[in-house]
Amino acid sequence: MIVGEQKPFEEIWEMIKGFRKVLVFGCNTCVAICHAGGGKEAEILASLIRMKAVQEGIGMEVKHAAIERHCEPEFFDPMMEDVKTNDVVLSTACGVGVNFLAERIGDIPVFPGINTQFFGAVPKAGIFVELCAGCGDCILHLTGGICPVARCAKSLMNGPCGGTNKGKCEISRDVDCAWYLIVERMKKLGTIEKLYEIQPLRNWSTATYGGPRRVILEHIKDIEEQL
Amino acid sequence: MKSGSNLEKVLEGGHFAVTAEVGPSKGTSAKVVQRKGELLKTYCDAMNVTDNQTAIVRMSSWSGCILLREIGIDPVMQMVVRDRNRIAIQSDILGAVALGIRNVLCLSGDHQRFGNHPTTKGVYDIDSIQLVQTLKKMRDEKKFICGEDISGEVPLYIGAVETPFADPIEYRVKRLAKKVKAGADFIQTQAVFDVAKFIKWMEIVRDEGLDKQVHILAGVIPIKSVGMARYMRDNVSGISVPDDIVTRMEEAKVAKDEGVKIALEIIEQLKEMNSIHGIHIMAVAWEDIVPVIVERAGLLPRPIL
Amino acid sequence: MYAAKRVTYAKKLLSTVGIDPARLEMYNLSAAMGPKWAEICTGFTEKIRKLGPSPIWLAVCRQSGMKRSELK
Repeated sequence: MIVGEQKPFEEIWEMIKGFRKVLVFGCNTCVAICHAGGGKEAEILASLIRMKAVQEGIGMEVKHAAIERHCEPEFFDPMMEDVKTNDVVLSTACGVGVNFLAERIGDIPVFPGINTQFFGAVPKAGIFVELCAGCGDCILHLTGGICPVARCAKSLMNGPCGGTNKGKCEISRDVDCAWYLIVERMKKLGTIEKLYEIQPLRNWSTATYGGPRRVILEHIKDIEEQL
Repeated sequence: MKSGSNLEKVLEGGHFAVTAEVGPSKGTSAKVVQRKGELLKTYCDAMNVTDNQTAIVRMSSWSGCILLREIGIDPVMQMVVRDRNRIAIQSDILGAVALGIRNVLCLSGDHQRFGNHPTTKGVYDIDSIQLVQTLKKMRDEKKFICGEDISGEVPLYIGAVETPFADPIEYRVKRLAKKVKAGADFIQTQAVFDVAKFIKWMEIVRDEGLDKQVHILAGVIPIKSVGMARYMRDNVSGISVPDDIVTRMEEAKVAKDEGVKIALEIIEQLKEMNSIHGIHIMAVAWEDIVPVIVERAGLLPRPIL
Repeated sequence: MYAAKRVTYAKKLLSTVGIDPARLEMYNLSAAMGPKWAEICTGFTEKIRKLGPSPIWLAVCRQSGMKRSELK
């Protein structure tokens, strides 16, 4: 899932304080799981904005809403008329949602209420960790399922570096050294010899560095026109 | 001869090598590096110039190396993969060779968050082992990574580093083997304080036959104060400082003298190890102690080849 | 206790909009603790009274141009 954190309230207030009709628009998939921007969080944020606006003497009408996902048009379509009655939309969806809504909303600005961060999972309630970097060329079969791109601070292909400290990364005691984990797991799987080979230079063009990416499925595209 | 550098001649000639280290300043004066170079010139066979160590911006390693060459020193250009992609790396190597630099040490580099520009984007396009591979391909095949030809010779003596004391310890030897396979000619290790532990590690290195395939220089850091000893023990991953050394520093009347004594004892033991072909002295903020140590360790005069 | 953590979080949210977090409080007691319940209610009411009108109330007053005493 995509993990993000709500922006600090002061930053959000600065973005929207000049507007009169604000919609706080939540998403009930990824950002709801990390309690950053789901329907409930959108409602609370709308409340806080109202409280602030009243104290500042600003007449602001603050509404809140939420839909299942902000990344497919079918969830927006039934709402769009209502959405467009506002001066500004504060989207608490992830960055994808902000972009996607901005493309189809016309002349109304869409602002991000969330700092979208990474693809991750929930090892324990309240803890979200980054596990995938979306590099476009997965090598997890060579590293015991532990990603060196996302989880090694230097994305080394032939790690670990000299900074490993008792199994932790040099950048922080809270971060496991990914290569320490990889070595231990490959030992357990009996496949450690794979690591004795030098991993060749990576093709980073499949990652975000190569430019914005797209995936097109020929057998599905244009199907809407045909139906 | 792969490069014809002084360091290569010393090591290939079977002499016990001594290398030192120079950190450039955060400024534009050529004199800083050259002053340090003059101080250490006759006491080592080659001199490393660090590359934005700890991710703090300083004059670049390649420029420091040229300044050292100007005063007759054989420089070792340290190159981290943190700040440059493969285009810049190969480009810098061509220039370095053109300007007379022959020794290159390949490192990952301290993470950018430790430095004075923690918000920068770390590059890490290739890692340090792939960098060794790249240099070998440029030198031996005269080709860039992409396979295109390089015109002219690329005489290089390729170095890498190893940290015998960082976990997972047994895997470190395998990683050293990878560096040798990638093409490393010499290795400079992290500082050795726990000689017994180091000897054990070297036994594994010898079992793999690696000591015959690459020249290993053991790192030595002279301890200036008890605070420094404690700091290295508690905060620098990859340096193992035994408690009795910390105690000696605590109880010493003159800390610096004890620090020198400890360094000399370690060097004496390293000299006796057949698989160790030299030492790399990293006198952090204490460059002027290097001549003292080299002389008292009986390592003078340095061979002139 | 999960509820306690959420109250702490809610207090933090209130303070981001300038509301004194002391206005929100959590107390633990059972249905049998009648006298204690009365004591807490009285005590909390007194505390809130001492804290005075909340900034929201004051702002609403300002906006409607009425004096505090006139609003119900």
